[in-house]
Order: sequence, then C-alpha cells, then structure tokens
Amino acid sequence: MLFLSQAIGRPVLDGNGEAIGTVADLIVAVGNRYPPVTGLVVATDRRQIFLPWSSVASFDHAGARLSTTNIDIAKFQRRPDEIELRADLMDKQIVDIDGRKVVRVNDLRLDEIEGMLHLVAVDVGAAGLLRRLGLERAFRTIARNAHVQVSERYIDWEDVDPVESSIASVKLRVPHQGLAELHPSDLASIIDQLTPRDRAGVLASLDDEAAADVFEEMEPETQVDLIEDLDPARAADILEEMSPDDAADLVADLDQETRDEILAQMARSEAEEVQQLLGYPEHSAGGIMTTELIALEEHLTAAQAIDRLRELEPDAETIYYVYVTDREDHLVGVLSLRDLIVAQPVTPIRDVMIREPIRVGVLTDQAEVADVVAHYNLLAVPVVDDDNRLVGIVTVDDAIDTVISSGWKRRLPRVFSQR
Amino acid sequence: MSRTPADVLRGVRRGRPRALPPLPRLPLWRVRLVAMLAVLGPGLVSGFADNDAGGITTYSLAGAQWGYTLLWVILATQIVLFFTQEVGARLGLATGKGLIGLIRERWGVRWATFAALTMLAANLGCIVAEFAGIASALGLFGVPPVISAGVAAIVVIGLIALGNYSRIQYLFVGVGIFVSVAYVISAAIAGFDTSAAFQNLIVPHLQASPLYWLSVVGTVGTTITPWGQAFIQAYVADKGLKPDDLTASRVDVFFGALLTNLIAGFIVVACAATLWAHGETTITSAGDAAAALKPLAGDAASVLFAVGLLGASFLGLGVVPMTSAYTTCEAFGWETGVNWKWREAPAFYGLLAFFIAFAALFVMIPGLPLITVMFSAQVLNAILLPFILVFVMLLAGDRKLLGPLASGRVLLTIGWASTVLLVLLSVILVVTGLGIG
Repeated sequence: MLFLSQAIGRPVLDGNGEAIGTVADLIVAVGNRYPPVTGLVVATDRRQIFLPWSSVASFDHAGARLSTTNIDIAKFQRRPDEIELRADLMDKQIVDIDGRKVVRVNDLRLDEIEGMLHLVAVDVGAAGLLRRLGLERAFRTIARNAHVQVSERYIDWEDVDPVESSIASVKLRVPHQGLAELHPSDLASIIDQLTPRDRAGVLASLDDEAAADVFEEMEPETQVDLIEDLDPARAADILEEMSPDDAADLVADLDQETRDEILAQMARSEAEEVQQLLGYPEHSAGGIMTTELIALEEHLTAAQAIDRLRELEPDAETIYYVYVTDREDHLVGVLSLRDLIVAQPVTPIRDVMIREPIRVGVLTDQAEVADVVAHYNLLAVPVVDDDNRLVGIVTVDDAIDTVISSGWKRRLPRVFSQR
Repeated sequence: MSRTPADVLRGVRRGRPRALPPLPRLPLWRVRLVAMLAVLGPGLVSGFADNDAGGITTYSLAGAQWGYTLLWVILATQIVLFFTQEVGARLGLATGKGLIGLIRERWGVRWATFAALTMLAANLGCIVAEFAGIASALGLFGVPPVISAGVAAIVVIGLIALGNYSRIQYLFVGVGIFVSVAYVISAAIAGFDTSAAFQNLIVPHLQASPLYWLSVVGTVGTTITPWGQAFIQAYVADKGLKPDDLTASRVDVFFGALLTNLIAGFIVVACAATLWAHGETTITSAGDAAAALKPLAGDAASVLFAVGLLGASFLGLGVVPMTSAYTTCEAFGWETGVNWKWREAPAFYGLLAFFIAFAALFVMIPGLPLITVMFSAQVLNAILLPFILVFVMLLAGDRKLLGPLASGRVLLTIGWASTVLLVLLSVILVVTGLGIG
C-alpha cells in the first residue's frame, strides 16, 4: 500500500544511483477496473520528463529507482486513455457513487496487484487530509493515547466518477457510466452539487430518457438553468421524454424566447400537449394534471381491455385506474386494474365499471383537488372539461405537492440564493 | 421498442387536442428587468454588508477623529473594492466554485489550509465585531452585553436553522438604506463644509502620525475584506450565474461598491460636521457615535443609531459566518449548506456554531471596550487581506482556468497594483505600530 502523496517529491535515481530529479506525478491507464500505473513524471531542474513504467525498477515511499541510465524522453507519448494522478485527480471533486455525494480527493491509494502497481482507491477521509498536511503521524499518536479513531475513508476506484469534465472526457470506460446507474433522484441531487460546466458533461452522457427522469426529480431552478444551457434540439428531445405535466411546468418557468425555441423543436403532438397544459391556470386542476392516462371505450370486453393495455404498455404511474369513455370522450366510468383482472373475460367493461366516478373540473382549485384525493383515498382523480370530456388526471403525488409546499420537502444545498 | 407517454395517449384518445388557448405573454421589458434583478444582488448585498457594525463604527471614528481628511481613502477604497469584487465575480462565473476550493485545486491542501485559516481568523474578528455592534446598540438602552449577545446568538442560530436568512436579508438591507439616508440628511442639516469635503475627497492629505495610518488601515479593512472576496464568488457560483452574466455582474458589483462608499462617505461627513467640528474627536461608546445623527433626530438620535447598528450587525451575521463555513467546507469536500441535516454536515454546522458561540462569549467579557474591539477587527482584516488577495490575483490571471474571463493585461495590472498597495499599507501599519509600541 502506497499513497500518492507519500511518493510525490521523493528522489528519482537512475540505474547508477545518481539522482536525476524528483517524483512529480504518476500516469495511469484508465479503462480497467483498477487502472495500472503506466508512467512516471519526473521533475528535473529544468523541466518535467515522462518515463514509461517499464524503465522503473522500484517505486516506494523512498522514491523511484530506474533500471536504465540513458533516458530517451522523445519516445514517450501520453496516450488518450491516460490521466495524470496528481494533476488531474488530486484535490479535485469526484462523485462517490456508492455514497451518492460529491467529495474531494484527499489522496490516492496505490496497491501492488499481480506485480503491477494499480490505482485502487480514493482517500476522502481525515487521515488523507492530515497526511497531506504532514500531521498524520502526530495526530495518530495523539489519537492513540486519547483512544479515539482517526477517520479513514476510502472509495473504491470502481465507485468513483471523476465528474470534472476535463478528466471525464478522457476515454473513461464509458463516461459517467456509474452515474447512469443511480436512481434519478440521487443523480439529480448530485448534479445540483456540481458546477455548471460539470453538469453539462454529466447530462451529455445520459440518453434522453435517463435525462428526462433526472429532470423530473430536480428543483425547478436547476431545471431552468440546465435547460437554458442545452442546445434547443436536445432540450426538446428531453422534454418529449418527460411526462407532459412535468414538461409543462418546466416550460412555464422558461423565458419566452427559450420557450418558443424549444417548443418549435419538439415533435408536434408533444408540443401541443405541453402548450395545452400551459394554457391552464397554474393553481388549477388543469395546471397540475397530466395527460398521460389510460382511457378505454365502454363497449370493450374485459379480455379486450387487457389486450389493449398490453398493447399500449402504459407507464406504471397511471395503470392502476382505467377510465372508461364513450365515443365522444365523455367520462362514463372507472375501473381499477383489479376489477379488470377478476372480471370474466367476456364481460363488457361497462358492466363492471364504477359509474359516475369522482371527478374534478379543469379549473377546480388545486387545494380542492387535494381534498378530493385525500377524502376519497384516490391514487388519481380524473379531470374533465365543461362538457364532461376527460382531459387528464391528477395523480396523488402531484396533488400532495400542492398542499405540502416544497419548502418542507428536503431540498438540495443552496446556501445564499433563494429564488 | 419503448413507447413515449404521448404514444400511449394517442393510442387511447381519439379526439385531437382542441384549439389552444394563447400563452400568457410577459412584456419584453419586464422579462429583461426580472433577468437583471436575478443577477443584481451579490454585489449589492456584499456592498451593503461591508457597512456592517464594524463599518459604521470605523467610519464614525474616522470622521470624528480626522474630520474630512480621510475622504480620499473612501474614494480610493471604492475603486479598489470594485476591481477586487469584479475579479471575485469572474472567478465565480467562470468556475462555479468557491475561492478556497480553487486555491486547493491549484496549489494543494497546504495552501488551501493556510488560506482557510487566514480567512477564518479574519472572519472570526468580523463576527466578534458584529456581536460587539449588537451589544453596544442595545447597551444604549441599558441592556447588558451578557443578555444582548446571548439573545442575538439564539436569534442568529434560529434564522440560519430555519434557512430564512436570505429572505430576511432584505429587511436588514432596508434598515441599512434607511439609516444611511438619515446620515445624509443629518450631514446636510449640520451644514458640512462642502469645499473641504470635496478637496479632501480628491487630494490625499497624508500625515505622519501612526494613529492616522491606523485609521486609514481600519477604513480600508472594513470595506475590502477576505470574506467579501469569498462571498461574492460563492454567491455568484451558488446562484448559478454563467459567463454570459458578466456584464450584469460587473454592473452589480459597480453599484455595490459605489453605494457602499457613498454611504461610508456620508457617515464620515456627518461625523466630521457634528463631532469633529465641535472638538469631540474621540468616540468611546455608541452614545458618542450616535451624536452624529442629532441634527436630524435630536434626542431620538441614539434610537436611530441603535436601529442602524443592530440592522448592520445582523446583516453581517447573515453573511460572514455562512461564507466562512461554505468556502471552507467546499474546499475540504464536506457537506455544505443549511438543507443538510445536522448529522450529515457536522463540519458546516460545527463551524457556524463555533463562530457564533465564540463571538457571543467574547463580547460577554465584562468591561470590554466594544468600540475598540470593533475597530481592531477591521485592522485585523486589513492585515490578513493581502494574503487572500495574492491568491485571488494569481487565479485571476490563469487563462487555463478562466478562459476568456481571465484578467487581461490592464485588469491584471490594476489588480496587482491594488494588492501591492494593500500590502504596503499593512507593512506601514506594522512598522509604525512598532513605533507606537
């Protein structure tokens, strides 16, 4: 076990034991689980020279000893998948994927694996900090006598995402692969802690669907910041993947110019849906509803209805209630998924549905919508227009959001500004 | 093949969306104004917070002791303040990171620790000064420091814990404006010497007296501060401002600096016209300083002064402890911000608690000369400032870090000239200080 900080500044001796300089940096090739060390950067009096690892005979706390005496610096070229540990990683911010937060690199831990030195972990604990300050030994002595622990925290290299765009753009495995596996909510919280430049890098690595999921979890102000920085075409792609109510909420927060630009790039049908939702007052049922719902015609049988659902592959959020309409879209009834499954296959759904379901008008105040949802214990309540045509649903989570103001929800770190 | 929600919808509903209602449109000027106001802020808040308890006291002392002769310092400070704040804003805009974080990424942990400790020492001084401000303001009504400092500590902790400080900030800014206007009117009623004021504003009247230089240093130190550098950068970054906002940020910083020093100038003038003109050149208590508002408020002067000092102290307390904790924790990779739970961000809350507890307890020391404490804190700030500014200027010229936002030759020259000037000032102080000793 060796820490990078212990080796930096140590003497480098050539094959004859002559000092030629000091250790300035180590180069590793990323792409493997634990990146192997492939090169050594030596600081000599005048300049920095790169040496391939093959010419290093030994390397430890005491410094490096080379196997050769003649150093040919012209041959060595830094390859695109290589990073310099000290210059690119030390002291930088990284994402601890396992702990789901942004931390700083205090030190880097190297270990010998099958005879080769590899980067295995990032030190983010107090021990690393003290070591860098040259206080580790003193503190350990004090801690031992006081019977307390010096906190040591390492993150396995596999659980690290170097978010800094400059490093991440080096061909890292797949950039930000680890991040993409996080829950969208965790990822949203991490993105909020990054600088604008790094945020853009992370977003660029996500596909539209994943990006949309993350957007739905973000605070409105972060959403707006990010969308404004994106190319309108990409922004439009992401908005198309978001659920229409969330997309509409986001679009509503944009300034007119950006809004027009993005809506123009969106597929016509999605843009129309968003615009339609935008037309409703913010605090009405129309303002918080989504147009994502399952509506089936009343003449279908239970078996046909289930076939239809299978064919549509609706999102999980909306599948528990199936709304029943007549030919003119008028809301005539509702079925739970359970009703549908336990019904005899040949029974027309109009015979098993609940007639005259609880509903709210598009202009109903959001507080009243929340009351209705709470009072009748609904997962969602249908929204109808003046002619009783089904136009959307308000799901229980959106209804609750209106009652429990966002101030009470756990919010992301934002220290000074309050917008 | 996955389906989009819209596909689902299209498959289910036959009716096409009906005619669309028109979008509510904001008139363009309003959009612009809103965009501008969203950017305005960091510089203004920072500028106002410069006129905190220590600021009001130091300016009062300067006016009472030296009359109009220190006005040139105010003008020079304003110019330097603009350029240093502008650099801070650019660092924040280009990197989105805090000051000490940048120092760490560029020079490593040791220098970052050095910068953090320097910053913390200076800021601790400022926070003590804010508590001293509260104690002397309430002291005018006979409240002993033990009670006023204790209550203030609880109020500040409460405001921070509830995360309401940034909203209530504007109340304190409002109080600041109100009291500033009172100083302007008071100066006008007292009938200040216009020609002397203008002449001293433009032409420096240097004196060899060490006490004179002590006042110069205090005045500079209360306006250009280590925390001010950290604050502007953190605020710009935290607000998510981008390089595109450069012009707006410069405007903001310019007006912040202008307003700060305009107010400072009027406090000096008001004190010169009332106290100094009548031979009352020493201020040993808040009551003495309040006399500068007598031409306007008469017997209510002390109430007015107390309100101003109280507002200024709380404004400072909303900014300085938070800035210190934020920049430090960011540099060391610790959780930062009041939206974390206490257990999740022990370093952040620990620092905040330490600052507030230390300052409150310090002020409770019996028989503490509060005015001297406030003034000394500003001198301490001035002495520590150059260390921070050297880092700032080195970063400002870094093209690799800032790209097009890096300082050009002109800005770099001005920046370094200001830094050298401030270093000289500290050296002069230390040298003459040794002379006094």
